[in-house]
Amino acid sequence: MMLWPTISAPQTSMPQTTIYVSPRSLGAHDSRPPAVVTTDLARLFAGNAALAGVSLRVDAGGVIALLGANGAGKTTLLRVLATAIRPSYGRAQVDGFDIDRDADIVRGRVAYLSHATGLYDDLTARENLRFAAAMLGTPDAAQRVERALFDVGLSDRAADPVRGFSAGMRKRLALGRILLGNASLVLLDEPYAALDADGLSLVDQLLVAWREVGVTVLVASHAADRLEPFLDGRVLLARGLVAGVEGQGVTSFPPSLPVARGSLTGVSP
Amino acid sequence: MKTRILGVVALAAIVAATFVALVVVPPDQNQGDAQRIMYPHVASAWLAYLSFGVTALAGIGWLWKRDLRFDAVAVSGAEIGVMFTAFAIWGGMMWGRPVWGVFWQWEDPRLTTTALLLALYVGYLLLRRLTDDPERRATRAAIVGLVAAVDIPIVHFSVEWWRGLHQTATIASPDKVLNPAAPMAFVGTLLGMLAAFTLAWAYLMVRRYQLARRELEREERGRIERIVEARSNPVPSEALR
Amino acid sequence: MSTLASDTRVALAIARKDALAELRGRHATVSTLFFAAVVLLLFGFALGPDSARLAAAAPGLLWLAVVFAGVLAVNRLHLLETDDGALEQLALYPVARRAIYAGKALAGFAAMLLLGLLVLGAVGVLFAVDIASAWLPLLATVVLGALGVAAVGTFYAGVTVRLRAREVMLPLLMLPVLAPLLLGAVKATSAALAGDPFGELGAWLQLLVAFDVIMVVAGAATYGFLLED
Repeated sequence: MMLWPTISAPQTSMPQTTIYVSPRSLGAHDSRPPAVVTTDLARLFAGNAALAGVSLRVDAGGVIALLGANGAGKTTLLRVLATAIRPSYGRAQVDGFDIDRDADIVRGRVAYLSHATGLYDDLTARENLRFAAAMLGTPDAAQRVERALFDVGLSDRAADPVRGFSAGMRKRLALGRILLGNASLVLLDEPYAALDADGLSLVDQLLVAWREVGVTVLVASHAADRLEPFLDGRVLLARGLVAGVEGQGVTSFPPSLPVARGSLTGVSP
Repeated sequence: MKTRILGVVALAAIVAATFVALVVVPPDQNQGDAQRIMYPHVASAWLAYLSFGVTALAGIGWLWKRDLRFDAVAVSGAEIGVMFTAFAIWGGMMWGRPVWGVFWQWEDPRLTTTALLLALYVGYLLLRRLTDDPERRATRAAIVGLVAAVDIPIVHFSVEWWRGLHQTATIASPDKVLNPAAPMAFVGTLLGMLAAFTLAWAYLMVRRYQLARRELEREERGRIERIVEARSNPVPSEALR
Repeated sequence: MSTLASDTRVALAIARKDALAELRGRHATVSTLFFAAVVLLLFGFALGPDSARLAAAAPGLLWLAVVFAGVLAVNRLHLLETDDGALEQLALYPVARRAIYAGKALAGFAAMLLLGLLVLGAVGVLFAVDIASAWLPLLATVVLGALGVAAVGTFYAGVTVRLRAREVMLPLLMLPVLAPLLLGAVKATSAALAGDPFGELGAWLQLLVAFDVIMVVAGAATYGFLLED
């Protein structure tokens, strides 16, 4: 007998489904540390400041949108928080853990959906998820994989190599991979891109499901209107800085001047 | 200023040591004047290995402290080291020719190990050249330098074994057949040459490091400027609506 | 948080994944084996046709073929991770970095072992060398040699996977470091084939073991740094 904590989704064009999301036991919202705290976070690529000085606090448990034009720094911010890249300057904490010193712990608490899906072309959908389950240490891996495949609507393609999948199907599978973990912070980079109507609705349901169990979600997206009903707050980025913050659950602070030194010493502006 | 003094002293020391090695000290009783190349050859070899050790340790320093100045030391060690290595090999060949009759002898563990050292250095420097981002370059170089440094003793050991187990091991290293006319002068000249070369090495290292450090500071200033500029000119919120 | 048991599970999962992908469609193992065969053929042309000379050179030719083909093999295994950002995703899992290295090196070892055994057979046939008489020490040598090439190759493949001029840099970095392994493996092979007249086989095998242990430890300790950006 399976005991799935079930979460109901809002009525959509799809028949009502329940998605299994398993967060770590998170506790009451106000007792948790903020999901994200960044201090003057900056990152340069070949001299160009993709992030120039972002100081944010995101409270635990909300769904926050990252908005802004292309090149504003949304993807870079997500990648730094996911520990995929190191910041050039500044600091950040996830759930109170420093992304530099405690990178291992942060990785165990964060799930990241990037532009690239990180899937292996020669493996089937099921094999990709089985591998991810082994990496994530998912309990009851075989069952959870089947459940995840079902939840993202790929059960009938589970035995097909990913090589033949469309971009939308790959994205679904990547979302399925996130369902195998127990992240407390989910970072989504353009989740709606390349998805059909059912796929879009899937993302909507996921946002609701995560919110219900208290997972914090940071979504970078151009589809501000679609996101609107699910959001608690919004952060607007422009040219690597926070241009504005709205709603609940997120606060920003102005970047400090002068700039603290980086890995070199003896140089100050 | 202090560096310049070091340079002058080093130069003077090398001139003096060379003079002594070429003119003052008597030739070897077995090898004759050919033995004189040994003095700078041994000195160079010692510094080649020292440089490599410095590079490896500086790499560890970077990985541990994330301070790019360690990487500046590492690249200095590698570039200076490759020079001394090349010279040491050339010297070894010049010395070997009169003693062995050939330029190269596979069973000489020092010669072959030094040749491999050169290959490792060159690989290290090429790797650096192919990576643009300074921190990624420092990290890659550090771990490659580390693994290469770990490999060197194994190489030396294995070549020694190679020679030792070879039945017709009559080919000896050139220094095994030395017979100095004046042992004290011989040792003294060698130490003097070693000291002179070490001074020269120190001078070159300091100069190279200064160069690298200036480069780093310039880059850092540029980056900080970009950031300060961006923070001072945020996009006004009205422009975003 | 990571224990030896969890690290082992992770490493095995990665090795399985690599093996699965290889079997599925990369055809890297097949082309690498054929490359080794071609190399042996060319050696025959270059050093032959005197069979005595070829038989004497056989141990060296064997290991040269294995090492050159090994460069290709470890390269292919890491190329697998360039599928749609797979390497970055791999680095984001909450697993010990050394377990990732162990997994990829294990997959590399399996490939190299297969390669080594097949090349050994081919050398026996092409250069008229009697393998059967000394199959046990030869097997030991191939196992140890394969492990060394896999350990070093996996490490350097990780270094070069996102590097420009990768095809040249991988052999350039990897081969000098493999010099002692090559030396030891060749000496062990010829000692084994000759019936170990001077009793040196044990010493050479010890060298290989030492090399393997040192390189595995060095690789495991440093591979994690390669996964950061």
